[in-house]
Amino acid sequence: MTATLVVRRGPVSARIGVRGLVLATATWTAAVAVGMAAITIGEYPLPLATVLDTLAGNGSLITYDIVVTHRLPRSLTGLLVGAAFGVAGCVLQRLARNPLVSPDVIGINAGASAGAVVMIIGFGASAAWVTGGALAGAVIAALTVYAVAWRGGFSGYRLVLVGIGVAAMLGSAATFLLSRAEINAAYAAAVWLVGSLSGRTWPDVVPVAVGLGLLLPVVLALVRRLQVLELGDDLARSLSPRVGRARAVLLACAVGLSALATASAGPVGFVALVAPQIVRRVLAERSPGLVASAGTGALVVVAADLLARTAFAPRELPVGVVTAVVGAPVLIALLVRGNRIGASG
Amino acid sequence: MTLSGENLALGYTPGTLVVDDQSVTIPAARVTVIVGPNACGKSTLLRGLAGLMRPSSGRVLLDGSEIARLPATELARRLGMLPQQPSTPDGITVADLVGRGRHPHQRWFRQWSADDEAAVSAALHATGTAELADRPVAELSGGQRQRAWIALVLAQGPGTMLLDEPTTFLDLAHQLDVLDLLRAVNAEQRRTIVMVLHDLELAARYADHLIAMRDGRIVAEGAPSAVVTEELVASVFGVDALVTPDPLTGTPLVLPRPGARRHADAAGLRDQEI
Repeated sequence: MTATLVVRRGPVSARIGVRGLVLATATWTAAVAVGMAAITIGEYPLPLATVLDTLAGNGSLITYDIVVTHRLPRSLTGLLVGAAFGVAGCVLQRLARNPLVSPDVIGINAGASAGAVVMIIGFGASAAWVTGGALAGAVIAALTVYAVAWRGGFSGYRLVLVGIGVAAMLGSAATFLLSRAEINAAYAAAVWLVGSLSGRTWPDVVPVAVGLGLLLPVVLALVRRLQVLELGDDLARSLSPRVGRARAVLLACAVGLSALATASAGPVGFVALVAPQIVRRVLAERSPGLVASAGTGALVVVAADLLARTAFAPRELPVGVVTAVVGAPVLIALLVRGNRIGASG
Repeated sequence: MTLSGENLALGYTPGTLVVDDQSVTIPAARVTVIVGPNACGKSTLLRGLAGLMRPSSGRVLLDGSEIARLPATELARRLGMLPQQPSTPDGITVADLVGRGRHPHQRWFRQWSADDEAAVSAALHATGTAELADRPVAELSGGQRQRAWIALVLAQGPGTMLLDEPTTFLDLAHQLDVLDLLRAVNAEQRRTIVMVLHDLELAARYADHLIAMRDGRIVAEGAPSAVVTEELVASVFGVDALVTPDPLTGTPLVLPRPGARRHADAAGLRDQEI
């Protein structure tokens, strides 16, 4: 048997895959380590000891400003946004039984972006309204894709094709708004649209932190249903007759997580697509676990941001540029592979 | 364990019924096979009996209680259904797949009880898949994969198992393999088995009770030797055939006459409003 830990105490029992546990721990450790390293690196390098001292409350005014006001919220936003995208991608890919069905491919991130751009350009809005716009845009995009693609089942290329169409429409709507906007608002929106962690402060941490805090427990509580839904709609309903409700909740959570992550950092591309695939193919975990996908997403975003910040220093790239450079080839590889085997759902 | 349908009407789009006002009683602890030409409604009837479709009228009863009113987990423990093409999660192993059949017996605080382990191990052994337990399902042959899926339903532990064309896409040897396995499950564990099959001869060989359907209606049911007659083969399948006892088993053997379809055509039987 593959290594599993079984714990039984009276009526209580649990089974944990050792490999999944190791991967989850390892990816999160790596993500936090890179996030901490990113706090030490910059125009004003700080040794790790100073960073830790400052976090413990013993820093000088200037180290406090650098660490607590600037670099920590940036690292934290990166970690949380990556984790949220990782979970959202993992849930959608497993529900649809198709690695291409992730929020950035099927138009959910595009919806969130369009909603946020409307708020930024149309109303010059504050962070709270941008969050609201992103949520509304994501929900509208998701409902549109769902209504057009749904044919008595949730799977397959139909969803991907409709999603790509909806994403393209929303993308052009956002571009149209940019072209009409006043130059400063347009610049702010354009940088935001690529996905950037530049200048993130504590208010930017809030949407994604709240999203993860509320939605991740719900998703984790529904993991058993997700495992049944992966077997196909008919078999899932035979094993769990009311499983349709669990699917709707899981979908809503995935949409919410992507929307709130987008509200915090913009639509950082390809993280949701790539994170579960890294867990599945690079780390060779049979079925991408939610916690490992979250850790991998977090690692991808903080590592990409570190690269974006240091590669062309003192100029910064938006993190979304780096994730796109890494993620786009993965998307193409998946498309080619899906094309060759003819299906994946 | 008695499963029955009363005046069932089933359809996928409003106004179009695929199964129209049919009543059926599945004999307990027996093997029942539903046969009929393509699009006759046999899979739809099976899905209706499994509770996967809400009947537009009529009801499905399991031991006298209406399945639509049974608590969800209780229904899932008593009635199992293997669809024609379930989907295999990426990279899953046989043991994991079979373990997922235990879902209706588990709770968030009881995820892997000793019963779960025993049921999975029994299902793996009953289907001869124990030595494949750690292999990824995607790497198995068609026959092995089908046995793994049957093991999942066995681990679920229902008294009544419904299977939609469990032998499609299998070569003859593996078709026999799967049907022998299901007969053994029926004989040794007294489970009621209902399946849809394409092949009339295999159906006649393996069924205790045969249901023949055409155009959404049940046209004959009973013991295979009573149901499979030359008249029935002509009227249900539109094939002019000689029906003779199988020299090996005594069950009906269907031998289409040369040019059977042209004869049928002449008799006005070809592709009647299917």
